[in-house]
Amino acid sequence: MTTILYHGEPNGPSLTVLAAAFEKQVDVTLERIDLAAGERHAGAVPRTMEIDLSIEGEGPVLVVDGTPMADSVFVACYLDDVGAGAPLRPADPYARWQTMAWCRYVIERIAPAAAYIGLSDAPPRAVPPGIASVDLADRWRAAVEGQVDQARLDDSRSKIAQGVDKVEAQLADGRDWLMGDFGIADLESYAWLAGMPRLVPDAFAAHPRTSAWLDRVKARPSVARALALATTPVPEAAWAPGPEINRWG
Amino acid sequence: MTAATDRVTLYHWEPNANSGKPMLTLFEKGVAFDSHYLDLLNFDQHKPDYLAINPLGTIPAMTHGDKVLTESTAIMEYVDEAFAGPRLMPDDPVDRWRVRWWMKFMDQWLGPSFSMIGWSVFIGPSVRQRDPAELDAAIERIPMPERRIAWRKAISGAFSAEEMAESQRRVALGIGFLEEALGKREWLASDSYSLADINGFNLAYALPLSQPHLSNDALTPNILRWLRAIYARPATRACWALGRTDMAKRVTILESEPA
Repeated sequence: MTTILYHGEPNGPSLTVLAAAFEKQVDVTLERIDLAAGERHAGAVPRTMEIDLSIEGEGPVLVVDGTPMADSVFVACYLDDVGAGAPLRPADPYARWQTMAWCRYVIERIAPAAAYIGLSDAPPRAVPPGIASVDLADRWRAAVEGQVDQARLDDSRSKIAQGVDKVEAQLADGRDWLMGDFGIADLESYAWLAGMPRLVPDAFAAHPRTSAWLDRVKARPSVARALALATTPVPEAAWAPGPEINRWG
Repeated sequence: MTAATDRVTLYHWEPNANSGKPMLTLFEKGVAFDSHYLDLLNFDQHKPDYLAINPLGTIPAMTHGDKVLTESTAIMEYVDEAFAGPRLMPDDPVDRWRVRWWMKFMDQWLGPSFSMIGWSVFIGPSVRQRDPAELDAAIERIPMPERRIAWRKAISGAFSAEEMAESQRRVALGIGFLEEALGKREWLASDSYSLADINGFNLAYALPLSQPHLSNDALTPNILRWLRAIYARPATRACWALGRTDMAKRVTILESEPA
């Protein structure tokens, strides 16, 4: 079995999948691509419907025996299924539901907000050729042209603040990790929130448990190893167009 | 008799979209459950009795003993894992990834476009005739601000032409993607019937009626084959029998013979 992971800078979805692969001790060949230059849409990365239409936007692609997979939470579930390391999801069905419902909240609410805020701070230079999805191409164009909608930016900041409140509440009983044992919920939440203290500092003020949790995740050997792959001094400031903001609001 | 600690209650609206996903999953697994019908058009989901179960006021929710579950797709995975009965996730880990990929694609990209059309042609007109003051009060009780906005838009018919055109563009494209995927496999995400099919059926069961120029036996034979195969399952018949509105009754279009 050959497994290739095409990944960007260790931030957002690339960080989740890199760290999950390391946690699970899965033998992967790492291939770095510049997501912010649109390299997922050209070159060696295999293109299928599932890659072109990934809800996540610009994220990593794991190719297993020729089948490319996108969307970091589900790629992490795959790695959890096949890898030897400690489980990244609980065994109990209700606890697993908590993990999946939590991750759904992150990918639907926090991820689009973080990507919008991050991109408005560090817009990509040019719209790459070859983007199959019309709506993803629109998000690229808006980001490159610096079209930042103030209402959306404000709403995104409040989504980050709500997300941080949720993390703080989850940690209120003094636990180290969001779901008890370390897992996908910690990785995915950290991956999208790691760049936010710099851009939305108010959301993190008076949230000591969240700040300590961010430090703990960052110190995790798998996460540290992923972060060591960065080619920029501040990987948490590296963004590419992410998931769209829910059209219903 | 089931002990109170194991009792399953599902709070749902019609067998359609998010409500129908856990409903059909429970029927496929053969899990006995108490059906608690909430009339979405009467704003039952924002009344105190239900907010005590799910403070966000979203439908569906499920209780299993003293556990409360929300988020329809996550509930489906729970039902598959927590109960005996036929497995609704494939054995192969890549196939399991594909099931989840399709569910997310439908939940977050295709579904919202279908529902924008559905709200503008069905839900809005269904409630618009009521007393405006009463409607306003009902909307004010909705816990989530984004749902308040959606209801206001649905009732006033204020979805912009641009929003509707984008929804229609996605529906047309999504029909093409479904047809392509179902041309590769018997079922949507794997070679066995899975949660992705249950999710997809809830989204697409009325396609030949709602989008007849885009989905029919000539243009999308694989979608029609797939919808009829799911409708033929006893669990689907039992589930749709719980429908009370003309919306759910649209499923009978699948009783037509292939052209």
